[in-house]
Amino acid sequence: MAYSEKVLDHYENPRNVGSMDKNDPSVATGMVGAPACGDVMKLQLKISADGIIEDAKFKTYGCGSAIASSSLVTEWVKGKSIEEAGKIKNTDIAEELALPPVKIHCSILAEDAIKAAIEDYKSKQGK
Amino acid sequence: MNYFQLFGIEASFDIDLQNISSSYQALQKAVHPDKFAHASEQEQRIAVQKSAHINDAYQTLKQPLLRAEYILVQRGVDMPNEQNTFGDTSFLMRQMELREMLEDVRSAGDVDAALLEVQRILSSEYLQLTQLMRAQISENNSASNGAACDNLRKLKFYQKLNVEVDRLEDALFDDE
Repeated sequence: MAYSEKVLDHYENPRNVGSMDKNDPSVATGMVGAPACGDVMKLQLKISADGIIEDAKFKTYGCGSAIASSSLVTEWVKGKSIEEAGKIKNTDIAEELALPPVKIHCSILAEDAIKAAIEDYKSKQGK
Repeated sequence: MNYFQLFGIEASFDIDLQNISSSYQALQKAVHPDKFAHASEQEQRIAVQKSAHINDAYQTLKQPLLRAEYILVQRGVDMPNEQNTFGDTSFLMRQMELREMLEDVRSAGDVDAALLEVQRILSSEYLQLTQLMRAQISENNSASNGAACDNLRKLKFYQKLNVEVDRLEDALFDDE
């Protein structure tokens, strides 16, 4: 199956790969996985006191589309508030990367990773 | 007739693989095309369908994860879509560690030993989860069936990892 140019670009030059300290109270970590393909995705967001995402890092084990989806998401969320980031839809990701129908679940995984990270942040703030 | 009935065994996660293998041969023999060479077209078609059904049953029963899934579905357990996101953080953290471990094999001082170590860890964790799922399947109540379903999903991640290990082993072996 042919990957789109955008997928290949993110796959070959992934943006913001890496890890942050998950115990840092300003770092939100979202871990998600897909049993169907065994993909595992970790998205970390550094969030300022006023709720703005200052930095984002990801680490994904999976296919090219899963890596591209998470790489794209790290670019998109930077500078956004957590509310804005929470509104990113998998369809936006799939459209931007021109994902074929069989790879839509990779974009869903990336959307769920954002949500999981925001959830983690809220539970950290609640403590 | 469900797959277990077809093979004349009790619906259970614990099955005798040798027993189902010989049942499979016997069942297939009974519907072999040679036996229907002079039969009507309709009978021939039915024999082919039966043969396909026997084959599906055998392929499902002999593989532990497919067998577990089949049992749970037969019980009416609501299996989440395979593509639904799985969000058990500590489990996924462990999966990430295991993948990192696998990634490091290539650059290890002693590649063979590193690969063996990964295989040892994977098979021990796989076995542990399988035993847990097996006990939950035999307990057979709604809570245990749900828990078994959860562990089945976890085991799929290990299945994927094992494929990666095999791939790595092949790649390393080809380099030699």
